[in-house]
Amino acid sequence: MPILEARDVTKTYQTRGVETPALRGVSLAIEAGEFSALAGPSGSGKTTLLNLFGALDVPTSGEVFLEGQPLGALSGSQLAALRLEKLGFVFQAYNLIPVLTARENVEFVMELQGVKPAERHARAESLLAEVGLGELGGKRPLEMSGGQQQRVAVARAIASGPRIVLADEPTANLDSKTAGQLLDLMHAMNREHGVTFLFSTHDARVIAKASRVVRLVDGRVAADERR
Amino acid sequence: MGTWRIAWRNVFRNPRRTGIVVTAVAVGVAGAVLTMATNYGMIFQMVENAIARDLGHVQVHAPGYADDPGIEHRLPDGGRAIAREIEADSRVRACAPRLRGEALVFSPRASSGASLVGVDPAREREVTRVADSLVEGEYLGAGRRFVLLGVPMAHRLSVGVGDKVVISVQDAAGDLTGEAFRVAGVYDTASRDFDGTTIFLPLATAQALYGVDGDVSELTIVARDRGEVEALRDALAARVGDAALVRSWDQTQPLLRYMVEMFDQMGWIVYAAVFVAMAFGIANVMLMAVHERIREIGILMAIGMPPRRLVGIITVESLVLTTLGLVLGLGLALWGVAALHDGIDLSRWAAGLSDFGVGARIVPVLRPDDLTVPAVAAAVTALLASLWPATRAARLRPAEAVRHT
Repeated sequence: MPILEARDVTKTYQTRGVETPALRGVSLAIEAGEFSALAGPSGSGKTTLLNLFGALDVPTSGEVFLEGQPLGALSGSQLAALRLEKLGFVFQAYNLIPVLTARENVEFVMELQGVKPAERHARAESLLAEVGLGELGGKRPLEMSGGQQQRVAVARAIASGPRIVLADEPTANLDSKTAGQLLDLMHAMNREHGVTFLFSTHDARVIAKASRVVRLVDGRVAADERR
Repeated sequence: MGTWRIAWRNVFRNPRRTGIVVTAVAVGVAGAVLTMATNYGMIFQMVENAIARDLGHVQVHAPGYADDPGIEHRLPDGGRAIAREIEADSRVRACAPRLRGEALVFSPRASSGASLVGVDPAREREVTRVADSLVEGEYLGAGRRFVLLGVPMAHRLSVGVGDKVVISVQDAAGDLTGEAFRVAGVYDTASRDFDGTTIFLPLATAQALYGVDGDVSELTIVARDRGEVEALRDALAARVGDAALVRSWDQTQPLLRYMVEMFDQMGWIVYAAVFVAMAFGIANVMLMAVHERIREIGILMAIGMPPRRLVGIITVESLVLTTLGLVLGLGLALWGVAALHDGIDLSRWAAGLSDFGVGARIVPVLRPDDLTVPAVAAAVTALLASLWPATRAARLRPAEAVRHT
């Protein structure tokens, strides 16, 4: 069973009465262990599809399934619980809660899950060490570089033990070297820990590293390349 | 990093804005509490002055006196049997008999209507402060033909200490009679109305003048403990039964009670005005805070924070802001009350204040309610003020919120 599946999904935005189709009938399944990328030009529907997979938005028609469960039937609270337990997110920037330290940001999702303080503290320390920020746990986001913040976001995304991490242009705001390091980190997590990643990106480095590249054009799947 | 810690840190993300809101709340609370304390100090003084001047805590009259307070309604046996009953109660500090009647008073230059109060000078000292209110002359002593006048009465009659006045009354038999008296002293109780109408004279003299042969109109009682007045009144009423009418100060002077009740109602209006204004201010700040953090709220939603927890954070932020302002405001109010322990000098308005039986110096008086009501109101205000922004935050669509710039 795929972790995520979209069946004939459409999404149309309405702005002041003007309809803008973002997805025009997308069917796609993401399997466990993939390191996949949704690629395509701006406006192709990458982020929209990622949001639908992430239960952050609802399709205009069609259905999205997470491990076989249709998301359309769930309430807001149930979707929040599902995001907490099964999904991890890394966004383009400003991922972290500014009033929390790096360690607290990582711990926060575990606190929401009800993990005991000692256990979540130890796991947060371990994850920060794994992303190379063991010394910066007490720093707040504004005291860290963009690359360091993204590493913390990755640590937070996998802290809850999700079935899949959805990353929306995670390297877009980083310089080339930092972007490469972040990508290597996520790739290593995929290889070594089996964490499934799905990116929305037009970064050639991400696309080059991806085990599967789904190209979207004008809201449709134009190509689905497995490597 | 529970809800409280995140909310606490969020409150201090924008120290200047937080400072402005906290200051506004503090000034509002301090202003409201000080206003209430000053107003209550005035009401308290008015009531206490009336009690100390004339009313005592409890008064005992003959049945029928309440409807027709005239010389014909007198306590049987001069009130002596009832007085013994009263003085047997350990809660009674003092009890003094009086005879009250209407009179006309004449001086060589003017005349005036007056209320005559015949008092036992020694016992009267124990229940009222008239003896301490003398501004000229001496208190009533052994002499039978001496009276005490209030300052306005003395001015109206153009008399002073040692001058002669003639008092004319209709006695208990209905005959007109009168006697000449010397002014022993002039008093000022800070109540222009009372001082302008009331003449004190020795009880025995008054009894002779009215021809009531040792009878009295009332017994005035002062309790040892102000908090036991109602209980004392009820106990005395039970003891004397139908032989007399026992009433506490607020029953003999219902106007005073109405003024206290009116003050309480006005207090609620003051608090309501302050806290409604405060609610809009806090709601505005919280809406701004939510607006500035839409993307952050989107992230929180994306990582799985339940909507109720989000509402909790916004609510607690509002509560923290209000509580900080409340604590500061109450602190300011307590400091203000302490700083004004000698009273606020309102001598410019002394004449007007004396119409209400209030002196020219008002000492603010804080009641426990003045601390608990703002605290409860602040909590309610914080909750109400957070409803709008919290609901707005909880209703944000995650996909739109995370893209917000």
